[in-house]
Amino acid sequence: MKLRKAASFAIALTVVTGLLAGCSKGNSANGAVKEEKGETPAAEQAAKDVKLTFFNTSAEVNTVFEELFKKYHEQNPQVTIELIPTPIGGAQLEKFQSLLASGNPATIVNLDAGTILQYKDDFLDLEPEKAKYEALTNPGAIDGALLDGQFLGIPWTAQGYGLLYNKRAVEEGIGGAFDPASVKTRDDLEAVFKKIEASGKAPVMLHGADWSLGAHYLGLTYSLQSQKVEDNRKFVEELKNGQVKLTENPQFTGLMDTFDLLKKYNARKSDPLVADYNRDSADFAKGAAAFYFMGDWSWAVIGTLEGRDTDFGILPLPVSNNPEDFGNTQVAYSEPKLFAIDDSKSTPEQQEAAKAFIEWMVSSEDGQKAIISDMGLSMPYKDLKAQSTNIMSNAVSEYVKQGNIINIGVINYLPQDYWAKTGAAMQKYLVGNIDRQGLAQEVQDYWKSYAGK
Amino acid sequence: MNKKLSLKNAGTFLVFGGPSIFAFAAVVIIPFIVGLYLTFTNWDVRTGDSSLIGFSNYLEVFRDKVFLQQLWFTLKYVFFTVVIANVFAFFIALALTRGGRGEQWLRTGFFTPNLVGGIVLGYLWQTLFSQVLPYLGNKYGWELFQTSWLTNTGTAFWALIIATAWQLIGYLMIIYIAGFTGVPNDVLEAASIDGAGRTSVIRRIILPLTVPAIVICIFISLSRSFLTYDINLALTKGGPFNSTELATYHIVQKAFLSNQYGVGQAEAVVLFAVVALIALTQSYLLKKLEVES
Repeated sequence: MKLRKAASFAIALTVVTGLLAGCSKGNSANGAVKEEKGETPAAEQAAKDVKLTFFNTSAEVNTVFEELFKKYHEQNPQVTIELIPTPIGGAQLEKFQSLLASGNPATIVNLDAGTILQYKDDFLDLEPEKAKYEALTNPGAIDGALLDGQFLGIPWTAQGYGLLYNKRAVEEGIGGAFDPASVKTRDDLEAVFKKIEASGKAPVMLHGADWSLGAHYLGLTYSLQSQKVEDNRKFVEELKNGQVKLTENPQFTGLMDTFDLLKKYNARKSDPLVADYNRDSADFAKGAAAFYFMGDWSWAVIGTLEGRDTDFGILPLPVSNNPEDFGNTQVAYSEPKLFAIDDSKSTPEQQEAAKAFIEWMVSSEDGQKAIISDMGLSMPYKDLKAQSTNIMSNAVSEYVKQGNIINIGVINYLPQDYWAKTGAAMQKYLVGNIDRQGLAQEVQDYWKSYAGK
Repeated sequence: MNKKLSLKNAGTFLVFGGPSIFAFAAVVIIPFIVGLYLTFTNWDVRTGDSSLIGFSNYLEVFRDKVFLQQLWFTLKYVFFTVVIANVFAFFIALALTRGGRGEQWLRTGFFTPNLVGGIVLGYLWQTLFSQVLPYLGNKYGWELFQTSWLTNTGTAFWALIIATAWQLIGYLMIIYIAGFTGVPNDVLEAASIDGAGRTSVIRRIILPLTVPAIVICIFISLSRSFLTYDINLALTKGGPFNSTELATYHIVQKAFLSNQYGVGQAEAVVLFAVVALIALTQSYLLKKLEVES
C-alpha cells in the first residue's frame, strides 16, 4: 500500500516538474526574442543573429530553396532562414493571410505579383534598390514588375505559355518534318490536328484544372485586347461596368473558337475534367499527345521523367484565321512571382538581411544555378552564370528576344478569385454543361459582381 | 465552516477544472465571440480597416444564392452520410460482438481509417476514383467506373459520402460495440429461451437498449459531417465547377479567396445555428426513446 502511494507521488512529481520545465523553456524562449530586438544590453553577441522566414508559393521547388538557405547560412552564419512551405496548388493564400492576420508575417515572401499588389501596404517599398536591379536585369524586366508604378517586388523568374509540342509525336503524326512557323492560323492548326488524329495519335492535351482554363486560357481574353497593360485594365473595368458584350468581342470569340478545336481533338475527351497535372504532363512528354496547352513550368515535371521524348517546342495559340492578328505569333509571357519583404512586423535588421539575401539569390552563382538548373526556370537577368536545361523556356526565350510576346501583366490587377470562378464556368463549357452564350453570361456576371470595387 | 468548505471546493475545482476551462475558453469561447463580433464589421485583412456595419453581412448571406444552394447540398450530403455510416457501423459492430475468431483484428482494421488524417484520406480516395477505378473500368468494361467519379456532379457527391462514411464507420463502430456490451446477457438469454429469432432480438431488445449509443453516434456523425472540410478539399476541391462545395468549403473560399471575411464569418454563424438546431433536436427526440432494461 505504501509502495503504491510512493509510486503515485513519484509520478505526480514527474508530471509537475515536467510542466515546470515546459514553462521555463517558454520563458527562455521569450528571453531570446527580447535579446534579438536588442532590449537586453548584455546580449551583444546575440543581437547580430538574424532569423528570417521565407513564405514560398512555388511549392514544387521547396527543397531547392531549403538547400539555398543552408548554403547562405554557411557563408553568412549570422543569418538563419526558415522556409514556410505551402502545398502545391493548395491553400497558399489562406496560409499567407492567416500568418498576416495573426501578426506573424514572413520576412520574405515569394508571391504572385497580384497578391503583393493587394497587400501593398504591408510590404517594403524597394525604390532605393530599383537602379541596382535595373542594371542586373534584362531591359523591361523591372518595368514589367512594377505594380501601380511602385517597385514592391523583385522579379526572379519568367514564364511563358502557349501550345507546347512534342516534336517526335508531331512529326510521326504528320509524317514529315514539322516547322512551327507553318502554323499561323486556326485552320493551319486544325490541319495539323487532323493529320495527327488520322495517324491514330491524340492531337492535343487540354488540362482541365480551373487555373489552367480560367487564368491561362480565358485570361488571354483580357491580355489580347491590346499590347498595353493599361488598355487591358480598362477593358476589365468595362467588363465590371457591364459595358462589354463578350459574344461580340472578337478576341473572346476567336479564343473560344480555338477552344472548340482543342476540345474536339482533346486527348482527354472522354473525361476532360480529371485534371491530373502530373499524368497529363507525363503523357504529353512520352508522346501520347502531340500538343499540350501549358507553359514552360511543366519542365519541372517533364525534365526528370524517365522514358520521355527529348525534343520539345512552343507555338503561339492561334486565335483567328488572319496571321496578322495580335496573338497568332506571340506567346504569353510574364514574371509571375516576385520576392517582397515584409514591412509590417519585421525589424530593420531583418529587412536589411532580407535585401542582402535576395540579391545573393538572384545574382550569385549558387543562386542562379539553383534557380536555372535545379528549378528549371528561366530568369529575366543578364550575364547568367548557369545554362538552362529547360528546353521549353529556351524556346520561349526565342520569342522574348524577338519581342513576340503577349504581356499578361493585366492579371496582376484582377481579383484573387477570378481564376477559380471563371475557371468553373470554363469547366462547365468544356463538358457541355453550358453553351457559348451561357459561358459569356457567367463570366460577365462574375465581373459585374465586382462593379465599383 | 460552510464558507470555508465552499472556498476549498472552489480551489479544488480550479486545480482540476481550471486548465480545461482555460483551454476551452482560449480555443472555443473567445474565438467564437471574436467571430461573432467580426460578422458585424467589414474587416479587411489587406488594409486592417474595420468599422461596424450592423446586420448587412447577414443580409448578404441570404442574398448569396450559391451559399444557400451549398447549404442544401450539405444537408443532403449530411443526411446520406449519417444514415450510411450509422447503418454500416451498427451492423459491423453487431457482427464483431458475437465472439468469433479474429474479432480484435477486424475491429482494429475497421477503426484504422479514423486514424488517417482527412487530407491523406482524401488524396487516397482521389487516386482511387480518378485513376484506379477508371483503369479497371476500362480494362474490364465496367461502365460505372469508366470515367472518374469526381468529374461528374452526381457521382462526385457519392464519392464524398463514401470517403467520409468510410472514415466515420470505425469510430461509430467502437461506440456501438460499447453500447452492445451494455445489453445485459440475462435479457438476451431469456429471449433466446423464449424462442426469439435473431431479427426480433435486434429489433425488440438490442435496438431499444442501445438508444444512448445511437444518440451519441448520430450526434457525432451529424456534427462531423456538417463540418467536413479536409476530405472535400483533398477529394474534389469543390469541383467539378464548384458543384460539390460543402458549406464549410464555401465559407473558407468566401473569406480567404474572395476576401469577404465578414460575410464568410456570418455564413459560419448561420451554419453553426443550423448544426446546433438539428443536432439538439435529434438528441432531444431520440432520448425520449430510451428505456431501462
